[in-house]
Amino acid sequence: MLLLLLLLPLAAALAMIVAPPGRWPRRLALVIPGLQLLLMVRMAVQPAADLRLEWLPQLGLDFHLGQDGLSLPLVGLTALLTLMAVAATSLETPRQRLFFSLVLITNLGLQGALLARNGLLFVIAFELILVPTTLLIAIWGHERSRQAAIRYLLFGAVSGVVLLAAVLALDLLNANGFSLAYDDMATAVLPEGSKVWILGLLVLAFGLKLPAVPLHGWQPLAYSEASSPVAMLLAGAVSKLGAYGLLRFGVGFMGDTWEAWAPLIAVAGTAGAVYGALNAIAQTDMRRLVAYSSLGHMGLLLLALAAATPLSLQGAVAQVLAHGVISSLLFCVVGLIEAKTGTTEIAELSGLLNPLRGLPFTLGMFLLALIAAAGLPGMVGFVAELVVFQGSWTVFPLPTLGCLFASGLTAVYAIRLFNRVGFGKLDNAKAFYPATTWGERLPALVLSALVLVGGLWPPLTLGWSESVTATLARHQPLIASLPAPSILQELPS
Amino acid sequence: MTVLTAKLTALPPSTHPFAEVVQRLEAGGSMLPDSPENLMQIIGIYKAYAVPMDFYWRDLLYIAERVFLNPLPAFKYFPSQEYLDLPNSYAGETADLRIWRGEAGAHPELLEFMEKGETRRMPKLLHHLWHDRINMEFAEACMDAMFWHQGMGGRFYDYLESDTYKANADRAIKAYFKGNPLMLGLHKLFPEMFLEQVRKLSYYANLGLFWEVMAPVFFEMSDIYDEGGFSGVPAAMDFLVNGIFAVAGRPIYHHVYINGECLEIIPKSEGFTWLYEAALPYVEAVFYRTAPFRGTKSYNAQAGQVPADQADFHYGILYADVFPVGSAGIPPTLLMQDMVHFLPPYLKEIYLQHRRGEEDQLIQLGITFQRSMYNVTSAVIQALRAALFYPLDDPDPEHLLANRRFFESQMDRFLRPEARLRDVQTQDYR
Repeated sequence: MLLLLLLLPLAAALAMIVAPPGRWPRRLALVIPGLQLLLMVRMAVQPAADLRLEWLPQLGLDFHLGQDGLSLPLVGLTALLTLMAVAATSLETPRQRLFFSLVLITNLGLQGALLARNGLLFVIAFELILVPTTLLIAIWGHERSRQAAIRYLLFGAVSGVVLLAAVLALDLLNANGFSLAYDDMATAVLPEGSKVWILGLLVLAFGLKLPAVPLHGWQPLAYSEASSPVAMLLAGAVSKLGAYGLLRFGVGFMGDTWEAWAPLIAVAGTAGAVYGALNAIAQTDMRRLVAYSSLGHMGLLLLALAAATPLSLQGAVAQVLAHGVISSLLFCVVGLIEAKTGTTEIAELSGLLNPLRGLPFTLGMFLLALIAAAGLPGMVGFVAELVVFQGSWTVFPLPTLGCLFASGLTAVYAIRLFNRVGFGKLDNAKAFYPATTWGERLPALVLSALVLVGGLWPPLTLGWSESVTATLARHQPLIASLPAPSILQELPS
Repeated sequence: MTVLTAKLTALPPSTHPFAEVVQRLEAGGSMLPDSPENLMQIIGIYKAYAVPMDFYWRDLLYIAERVFLNPLPAFKYFPSQEYLDLPNSYAGETADLRIWRGEAGAHPELLEFMEKGETRRMPKLLHHLWHDRINMEFAEACMDAMFWHQGMGGRFYDYLESDTYKANADRAIKAYFKGNPLMLGLHKLFPEMFLEQVRKLSYYANLGLFWEVMAPVFFEMSDIYDEGGFSGVPAAMDFLVNGIFAVAGRPIYHHVYINGECLEIIPKSEGFTWLYEAALPYVEAVFYRTAPFRGTKSYNAQAGQVPADQADFHYGILYADVFPVGSAGIPPTLLMQDMVHFLPPYLKEIYLQHRRGEEDQLIQLGITFQRSMYNVTSAVIQALRAALFYPLDDPDPEHLLANRRFFESQMDRFLRPEARLRDVQTQDYR
């Protein structure tokens, strides 16, 4: 079953070469993540056994796949967002076979990294994502897409090299012997002096991927210059690999050293949250606003990871899932608005809530995504942020307050944007916009439904990772002394 | 064609920004370009407008004459059968001047709609509450605009301040509240209160009598078009000009029926006529001026968005932004909703082919209405030119120049950026 998850996108990506032009590439690209979702549901009900095949033993490389509460929800998220990104792709997109095959290769890389149980296999999958995503940005992006792609490639390449160095160091310096299997990496005995800098390399590698401030140089440009389906994948799934890596390699494998870096990560997270929110307020373009909003929310994620309490880590996984859905929804809706109005410049848009000539349904979903990002109760963002703040408060009270403040700023740019774009008069000279069709709305509708369902039923985001995050947590005793939050009492054991 | 050639040789071309439109008016045309689609649109909308208008004028007269000062006029939008059967003075066998060849009673499509609406047969009150009805709110907004904007020519408004009018109104007020010491006491304490309401009711009558003429005019135009009778937009405009002159002298009055007795608040003998006391103030108030839409747009008076002088108001249909139609609080939305029930099939077909089809039909319809009202305004401008200036084929260049100055002065009113005259020159504006 695990192998099938990877074979499906690989086979489909290859099949794209011989697929007849027209609608077949799109249909094929829709079927694959759909099947992955079904497999993921099956795996949730009946966990799949590890798959272990020897590959290059002299390099320590095994084809070792496995699932746990950390990887499974992200496998589902990746499949879902791939499906939504394909569904949100315009029928008029040029060179569709190449586009969808690159999307599927990205999916393959993501699923491979999430299911990998071998350090080198993870690095290979991690690197595999870089090339297709770079091409997706460069070929199907906006005016400055080449510049964005080059910057993304450079940051990504550095991230990959640093990660490879960190993984190799982790194993070469292991007193128990060289092994790249996760189980061995988790129990590696390292020289005291090397632990801090190996963890530093991991933080740098995954911080670049996430991205975390101040390693975010590629992000606003890449998110704003990529086409909407690609931005949905980048913000919703690809960047989340950074969080997954920090959790798996940083907190998981280097747990006893984590506290050395945690304060710095917490401060970086807070700074990123405030910086992202303030920049979002200042933006005049919706794409860049959503990009900075995404950057800000990565700050909350970093805070939760830094705190590394059972609750905060559970919140981090929830935030990964929630933000994956919300940011994808935001980019999906912005793409729809751009497709219909021809612009994402805030100053050029107004009155889109007009019931007959505007885009009221689309704007409605946009509002839903914005208030979900602001953490309004009843939305998936609230569940994740509440648990992050609850979990982080005891360890990093001041950074938590800073992130709370930044979360409040989300409402500022959300209202500002919505007020300018949604209300006011439609421009008589320009506003002959075509309506959105139900087919175009469908991906955003599905994501909107998930935003609501996740808000009303917290186990959807919190229930997956409870046992894994509790094991990973570094501050178990501290948290154990506090009364259990009510939200956790409702979770299935 | 002969007229156009003679005029072109007599005068150099106009240098007005709307020179093309001026030239068209000088050739006896309309502000609206002559195209088969424009003709189809304006006639189609005249038909769709005339059916609710047939209800408007009947109910306006019902309110002015029967509901009168009812302090709780909850059923003012439910005219009695007597008013639905009221013979139109310009239709049917008994008409003094038969403009429409149809019957004098309420239009059959109107009666059918009042019975079933767009939903299904149910009690009138449920149709009303569901807004599955003719919306009188638009008619009242037009009446309010006429009442509120003053100094639009004619003697009607000034008459409402005269002692004769006050005495007639006072008599009617006392007769209406006879045996009601509370209301009579209020009238004694606040003598202007009911008087002002009666003035407003006089405008109900004024507008009702105006629309009583326009409904059969539009019905007849629709029938002529269906028979293939109009050659183009100018021909349709000429029909309107002829209609205006034919009924120009129609008396405007306000009678009220209290306990079976007819009291004349504005008697016919005062000599108020349709063209000067109803048609021209209506065009000025409703087509040009009106007021900012309440509800969705907040006009900032301190920022100069609402002019201090009422004559500078330019929110009428000739200037209106119809894009907000469909939004809450926009009165024309109700008019568009009224018209949409009676659209002829060929107009529905046009709307389905453009923009968002059925989804934004109300806005497309609003823009068609705007086009058609530019044609009606053209008819009024031509009628005024005929009444006050010279024939279009006048051999005297001085007279032609006077005509041109008149046309140019009329076009000056559309130089404002919000005027839609430029927009309606192209078919892309939908």
